[in-house]
Amino acid sequence: MITNNPLSVRKPDDSFAIQTFDLTRIFGKLVAVDGINLDIKKGELFAFLGPNGAGKTTTISMLCCLLKPSSGTALVMGNDINKDPYKVKAAIGISPQDTTLSDHLNPIENLELFGSMHQLPPKIVKQRAKELVETMGLSDRAKDQVKKFSGGMKRRLNIAMALISDPQLVILDEPTLGLDPQSRRAVWKYIARLKKEKTILLTTHYLEEADFLADRIGIIDEGKIVAFGTPVELKTSMIDTHTIIIKAWNLTQKTIMEMKEKYEDVQITDGTMTITDKRVNFQEIVDHLHNAGTIIRSAYIKEPTLDDVFIKITGKELRE
Amino acid sequence: MRFWSLFSRNIKETYRDAMALGFLLAFPLVFMLLFGVALGGDGKVSYSIGVVDNNQSDVSQSYISDALGAADVLSVKVYSNTDNAMEDLRLGNISSYIVIPDGFGEQVATIWQKMPGNIELNITYDESNLSASSNVISIINSITRSFAGIEIPITINTNPINIETKITQIDFIAPGIIIFGLLIMIPTAGRIMMHDKDTRFLHRMMTTPTRPWEFIVSYSLSMATIAVIQVVIFLLLGWWFGMDIVGSVWLAFAIFVLTGLCSIGIGMVVASLAKSENQGEALSWLFSMPLAIISGLWFPIEYMPSYVRTFADLFPYSHATEAARAVIIRGVGMEAISTDFLVLIIWTGGIFIIGTFLFRRKMKS
Ligand SMILES: Nc1ncnc2c1ncn2[C@@H]1O[C@H](COP(=O)(O)OP(=O)(O)OP(=O)(O)O)[C@@H](O)[C@H]1O
Ligand SMILES: [Mg+2]
Repeated sequence: MITNNPLSVRKPDDSFAIQTFDLTRIFGKLVAVDGINLDIKKGELFAFLGPNGAGKTTTISMLCCLLKPSSGTALVMGNDINKDPYKVKAAIGISPQDTTLSDHLNPIENLELFGSMHQLPPKIVKQRAKELVETMGLSDRAKDQVKKFSGGMKRRLNIAMALISDPQLVILDEPTLGLDPQSRRAVWKYIARLKKEKTILLTTHYLEEADFLADRIGIIDEGKIVAFGTPVELKTSMIDTHTIIIKAWNLTQKTIMEMKEKYEDVQITDGTMTITDKRVNFQEIVDHLHNAGTIIRSAYIKEPTLDDVFIKITGKELRE
Repeated sequence: MRFWSLFSRNIKETYRDAMALGFLLAFPLVFMLLFGVALGGDGKVSYSIGVVDNNQSDVSQSYISDALGAADVLSVKVYSNTDNAMEDLRLGNISSYIVIPDGFGEQVATIWQKMPGNIELNITYDESNLSASSNVISIINSITRSFAGIEIPITINTNPINIETKITQIDFIAPGIIIFGLLIMIPTAGRIMMHDKDTRFLHRMMTTPTRPWEFIVSYSLSMATIAVIQVVIFLLLGWWFGMDIVGSVWLAFAIFVLTGLCSIGIGMVVASLAKSENQGEALSWLFSMPLAIISGLWFPIEYMPSYVRTFADLFPYSHATEAARAVIIRGVGMEAISTDFLVLIIWTGGIFIIGTFLFRRKMKS
């Protein structure tokens, strides 16, 4: 048994929607999820970030009781995934990474099927199915078999399926995968609205999605949580350098040399100078260049993004 | 409620799937049509028969050349002994042969003198070629009567003896086609389960608090419902093509439904063992088609090597075909088919237990 993390000393706590305790899953020799200890508060939107194969989906599968942990456990809405799988399942709604729907049913029938599998009264299910179809912009196709849908339409229905049971905890595995920018923004808005009522666990490859939506973010790499915090915390704690980008005409070799002496990292490409250092003074740089006779077309301070955090931590680009 | 939703979803998925529907309905329908059209019309047919003359009298000679030989529908071949005739019957060169017994000439002469008497003929025919034989027998019957000039029926000793009912070809062929329609439920029955497993829709459904048994029962019950619908459709089709059920319709129905259930059970086992939907379907076709042939659904199995028949008898379909034909054609009751019926029941029960066990195991993986 591989346990890198010391056994957790955390106690079960009512204020958490999900608590994992050294949650581990091993496939053969591969440790897909490596002793994760995670607390997700009730009512928060938690984003799981990580490169391909980091173990996000595997973690989610264990939380949904589809996959038995190799060791460790988790409490989902206060229920142990190893001991009370059906109670866990009753409390959650999930939109899996792969779009899976019943192809020959229409969206309403798909939603109603899941509603009734959660044993909700048919009347409520009918009403909610209608609302969800509307919300996801599928009303005009409500009577069509799902197999005739475009990928994006299926994707939106895939998300709606997670919500039909009005679950306390919603798990969305890459919800906006394959959506056009417009639909993606619409889904973001909808998720943002849900945020107030539900606990949401979401994985994504779009860092701006996590930045925009998440209360807290966990970055996972090779099965381990490598960073954890609010987007702002992550950005400020992880990135201690600042970057100024200046586009200018007639940058002379002399000016460039001067800048390179002063600052740690200066890069020039096509008349664009990128200056990175722990301490950079915007005014000072602009003045200096001005005095040297450089004509500045634009100059701005680049805010650190989650991309920077991500690359810094994992050494990997998130999107190929 | 939950179970009912799953059940109706499975029915919808099957009947809205053109492929599944094609295999369930169109395929057997086409078979039925083909056989029905091919065998329904009594066009200009000619039957080859053999004659062995053990009487060798003037009367018997004249009977062969003037009576049998004059009939358009018969082409007569004379054999010196029964062994040669039997050989040709086996090879399918003739559909039956008549043995004229020693006393034939005297019997006919007696009748010609208006004395009470009886004519005896022995006919051996190929049972599997039932319509031909029954036609031939009635043809010979009428030819002989007009030759002898009598109104009383003559005694024809047939071998095997079973020619009282008016059997048509469709009666013989329809049970086989119906069983075939039910046998090819094997690929269709597993289809939806394998598809759900392949697309991970089953996994998605398993994120709801639905219990494994609810999946299994809803899958098998929806398929069983489809089987019952199939049987009803097939019986109606058979009736439309002129199939008469001499025996109990309910008994025939029960045999067919049990056969359908066996197919579902086998389909479930295949679905549980196959790695993917494609593999599963290929596997079930590979298995179903030869099984259909060796179970005697279309072709007579009497002449197959005995080990093939023994092998076929391990499966329910040859039993189902036997029992269905016995009820539909010969009108026998439960007592005559009890063994075949028992085999069907045991198969249904056994295969469902195995299928449930295997599928449950597969769901967990
Ligand atoms: N059923 C399985 N059998 C064997 N290995 C598996 C299985 N499922 C996942 N893995 C492996 O576990 C690792 C983690 O996979 P997982 O799907 O959890 O990654 P992920 O973070 O969701 O990636 P992505 O962003 O690509 O969806 C991968 O290396 C994957 O190959
Ligand atoms: Mg994933």
